[in-house]
Amino acid sequence: MNPIGERVLERCKRLGSEDAEVYLSRGTEFTVRVYNGAIESLVSAESRGIGLRTFREHRVGFSYTSETEADALDGLVDDALLNGRYNHADAANVLPVTQAADPLAGLASPALSRVEPQRKIEFALEMERRATSLDPRVRRVSNAVYSDGTGEVEIVNSRGLQASFARTVAYGVLETIAEQDSEMQSGFAFTHGRDMEELDLAGVVQEAVENAAGLLGARPVKTATVPVVLHPHAAAMILGVLANSFSADAVIKRRSLLAGKLGEQVAAGIVTITDDARLPEGLASRPFDGEGVPSRSNELIADGVLKGYLHNTYTAARTNGQSTGSAVRSYKSVPEVGVSNLVLKPGDISRDALLARVENGLHVSQLSGLNTVNPVSGEFSLGLTGHWIEHGRLTTPVKELTVAGNVIALLKKVVAVASDLRFMFAGGFCGSPTVLIEELPVGGL
Amino acid sequence: MPLLDPSLVDGVIKRASRSGADFVELFVERKRNQSISVEESKVQRVSSGNDLGAGLRIIHQGTVSYVYTEDLSEAGLLKTADLAAQVGRHGGGRFAFGDLTGAPRAPQPIEVPPHTVGPEAKIELLLEADQAARDVSSAIKQVAVGYGHSAQEVLVATSEGIHHSDSRTRVRLMIHAVAERNGEIQTAMEAPGMQRGFEFFDDTSAAEYARAAAERAVSLLDAAPSPAGPMAVIVGNEFGGVLFHEACGHGLEADFVGKGSTVFTGKIGQAVASPIVTAIDDGTLPSRWGTLAVDDEGVPTRRNVLIQDGVLISYMYDRLRAGQQNHVVTGNGRRQSYQHLPIPRMTNTFIAAGAHSVEDIIAATPRGLYAKKLGAGQVDVTTGDFVFAVTEGYLVEGGKIGRPVRGATIVGNGPRALHKIDMIANDLKLAPGTCGKEGQGVPVSVGQPTIRISELTVGGTGVMPAGAMRQ
Repeated sequence: MNPIGERVLERCKRLGSEDAEVYLSRGTEFTVRVYNGAIESLVSAESRGIGLRTFREHRVGFSYTSETEADALDGLVDDALLNGRYNHADAANVLPVTQAADPLAGLASPALSRVEPQRKIEFALEMERRATSLDPRVRRVSNAVYSDGTGEVEIVNSRGLQASFARTVAYGVLETIAEQDSEMQSGFAFTHGRDMEELDLAGVVQEAVENAAGLLGARPVKTATVPVVLHPHAAAMILGVLANSFSADAVIKRRSLLAGKLGEQVAAGIVTITDDARLPEGLASRPFDGEGVPSRSNELIADGVLKGYLHNTYTAARTNGQSTGSAVRSYKSVPEVGVSNLVLKPGDISRDALLARVENGLHVSQLSGLNTVNPVSGEFSLGLTGHWIEHGRLTTPVKELTVAGNVIALLKKVVAVASDLRFMFAGGFCGSPTVLIEELPVGGL
Repeated sequence: MPLLDPSLVDGVIKRASRSGADFVELFVERKRNQSISVEESKVQRVSSGNDLGAGLRIIHQGTVSYVYTEDLSEAGLLKTADLAAQVGRHGGGRFAFGDLTGAPRAPQPIEVPPHTVGPEAKIELLLEADQAARDVSSAIKQVAVGYGHSAQEVLVATSEGIHHSDSRTRVRLMIHAVAERNGEIQTAMEAPGMQRGFEFFDDTSAAEYARAAAERAVSLLDAAPSPAGPMAVIVGNEFGGVLFHEACGHGLEADFVGKGSTVFTGKIGQAVASPIVTAIDDGTLPSRWGTLAVDDEGVPTRRNVLIQDGVLISYMYDRLRAGQQNHVVTGNGRRQSYQHLPIPRMTNTFIAAGAHSVEDIIAATPRGLYAKKLGAGQVDVTTGDFVFAVTEGYLVEGGKIGRPVRGATIVGNGPRALHKIDMIANDLKLAPGTCGKEGQGVPVSVGQPTIRISELTVGGTGVMPAGAMRQ
């Protein structure tokens, strides 16, 4: 067993904790930011931390530390036990039944640690170089970053659990500035994978340049009620807003807009949403969750009907259900309920075919103010950036538009889902194809 | 007791300098925190944490390298210094760095360090607040209250021989109330906080804040959907300062300016706002959320006038950008933790008070939206385009405050909105918040008096009353 884990568990037992769980994490980070053909900053580091949960008479105590000296570890145990004394006793505060998780291959790329820093720096420089030579209106890059990291998680508990896994991630981020006359527009794009080799350099450059240049000449439009097409990223961000409502914890505490709707039609019949923690391409994939419970795929909305909520061990015990393996955490926090890879199931028509169904409408590439959505009522009023669609083609860029409504009403108005599934980090790792919404009132001039 | 033995600090800096670095800086941080949450009227969680780590920054011919570690043993730090020296050899540019001048001021005085107060007193406070919120109305169905404190000690030591330190203790209360009636759900929150010890609660009533949150959640149940369209917007002093912070403040940070990625680039000395607008960033204000004795590069903080009578006076700098842009340091170099590089950040940022009363402003507004309290928002720094949620809003009709509205957002462009500020009240107020930038969150204050913006786009689902502008 991990010697730190062993030492901490032993002290917990000696001081009267019936159960205890040690969550150890270790990570590395490499980030390079370039500007004007030179390195602006470079970060290279290793970090670690330990989180401890103690259970005594169904009272949970929690503390964390980044120190591994003997007295710091003793202090960690003492703090958790002290904190636990004040918490209310709840029979649902238990450790999960120990189950071995099936291994999940391919989460970590061993090749990543062998990539020379110089090649990573070159990647960032190349992004910047190409981004400023593709379009005469895009001559500047405000942000070009390559970053990667490894993360190792190990959980040991007094019920005999000893589990660990490692994961790697690499990404490139690019922000460009397009200029014309006195107008400036910014364009953002990113590429991600488990290794530098999986990053799409040409793709991220083209997208960042097009996103900025494509908005030049954007102007406000008149208020109208029109069909709205959401770019996969815009739709994925809405999924990210919905994510917390799938949490059984949010349901119990009346903070979910899906509370009390189990078995009800909450979305259009073509909407199927799954949270799959074992998805091969999912960057949030893991063999087990933050409590060591084996991961699985959870169908949340099937053909528009709400099928279930996500649980950790606590919410499952409280509602006489089963943990769905959805405990998410870092060493600095207790296991909360959260999504992993949250996916809106793709349909079978192409993005172009979906767009072709729109005679006159709006294509939304960016939504702003998603953090203003009321998570309980689902009411939203957002800023939009995008293009008008005329005869199935994107035409004039638009800005300073607003759209207001309700997330549930929006889900019920989905009339088409394309096949072009794309992912982005939006709370969890959220994936969506292009989506067509029947009609929305769009506020402008 | 110093965070780290001074001779070890110097040894690490010397070791990291061996590669011929132009500049080496060691940042050491210890942070202890505690949080307590009460939900469903029960103590849900008492938790505590302990962070200790160091970051080593090396500048080598204009290139910045950074290495951090949790291993503060001599062997661990020297190994980190060697790694820093090794990764820091990618330079090729010119070294320019703002001079660190001025004596550090004293840290904020703390009467009762919050860790010396047992959880019992804090829990009592929270349960009282929980009850106060529930007593407001039977429509209050759920209340979550929380207490948190953090005590951060930092040491900044540089190859110039400077050792500066600061100690920052913050306490905060969080109240979240959910009101429910006939299937309709509305929420409201309050989150007061100061850079003080537990004495904060001598003059801050948790129950009062809880009642305010509960009352607002209940009143929102009766609010009509907000009308949409362009109209005059009066932005109140309750977190209204977030608008200036997001839509203009970030654009005045020297890293964005240096890259020309904000509309304020090259506009020093020019009119960037209506002549009645003066805006200030002041890291010295007593007890405020964003106050620092020295910033996270050891630079003493100061009062920086950003905009004076509508004219752009200064940007906000860290040492690196001050050097690159040939400006004096302003005490705005900040970082979330030892795991982060310092970058230019705001401290306590606000629009200065004006001459009007709030009543004057409302009486002078025939039609518009009174956004008394703002919530979350988002901004594009390059264009200045912003969106903000209005968490407490009222229609203004015929110079009077009318019915409450919900679900309103205000959408606009920061630099353009600055020119459209046509009235400023005398009720300046600051509020605590956490500002996010490049993945780093730092504590700041946002502030402003009540102001009127002659026209902004309002988003919402409702319709303006008859005779008003079209939806």
